[in-house]
Amino acid sequence: MASFEPNVDSSNSETSRESNQKKRRKIGDHATDNNSANAVPWRSEAEQRIYSRRLVEALRRTPSSQAKPRAAGQVRETADRVLAATARGRTRWSRAILGRWRKLRTQHKKAKKASSTGLKRTRISCGERRNRLAAVQKKARVLSRLVPGCRKVSFPNLLEEATDYISALEMQVRAMTALAELLSGGAPAGLDGGALC
Amino acid sequence: MSSRRSRSRQSGVSTEITDAQITDLVSKLQQLIPELRARRSDKVSASKVLQETCNYIKSLHREVDDLSDRLSQLLATTDSNSAQAAIIRSLLM
Repeated sequence: MASFEPNVDSSNSETSRESNQKKRRKIGDHATDNNSANAVPWRSEAEQRIYSRRLVEALRRTPSSQAKPRAAGQVRETADRVLAATARGRTRWSRAILGRWRKLRTQHKKAKKASSTGLKRTRISCGERRNRLAAVQKKARVLSRLVPGCRKVSFPNLLEEATDYISALEMQVRAMTALAELLSGGAPAGLDGGALC
Repeated sequence: MSSRRSRSRQSGVSTEITDAQITDLVSKLQQLIPELRARRSDKVSASKVLQETCNYIKSLHREVDDLSDRLSQLLATTDSNSAQAAIIRSLLM
């Protein structure tokens, strides 16, 4: 599996007070330049097939035995990890997932949820009416907790990450569903045909 | 030093975040969400889009969890059956 080395390169609009955590992935690259262009084509079948294959390989490699079969949590983690790897490191959420896993493997499980939200100011430049802004901010905060690794990103970044993350999740669901169908003796043709959903 | 002006521009490269940019991103997000896809983007507020996004992500997470559960059970039985495993592998290649 490819190894994504998180470069310490905080060139994005993070607030400087988190310089402690700079060690962790602060690859604040891309986002402002090309919103859509980073998209892995999550909708393509090829991508799904790649993901499925990697997932199966990874699952086979997870330690399990007759006595202690793989737990659902393990499967979920593996699935997420492979998903993040398939993203090829171009998105923050994927790097966050990979970092999280690597950290768990090597050492202490330092909970990543270090601090409070960074979305105190959604940096919408003009046209703020206070009410609208507060509601949006609150929801943005919730969203930032749902997308891995996005607690401190700027609002536009968050939206981009969320967009990519949703597509990836959808693909994950499709792939895992197909796999489950396959394993339960369902129609293998579904994989080639592509009409999986 | 007030607000976001200084705060949001740490590095040299970042551009100013415009309303249009945000609107654009929000509408892209909206297109992804099944609930909101049908509605016209000027009729859906950003707040609603965010809300539905959160809900959607949560439901996707739940689905993945359920599937993980299912897969873990299925895999337990598959391990013992290597013929099936071979089939899976060949189908996925």
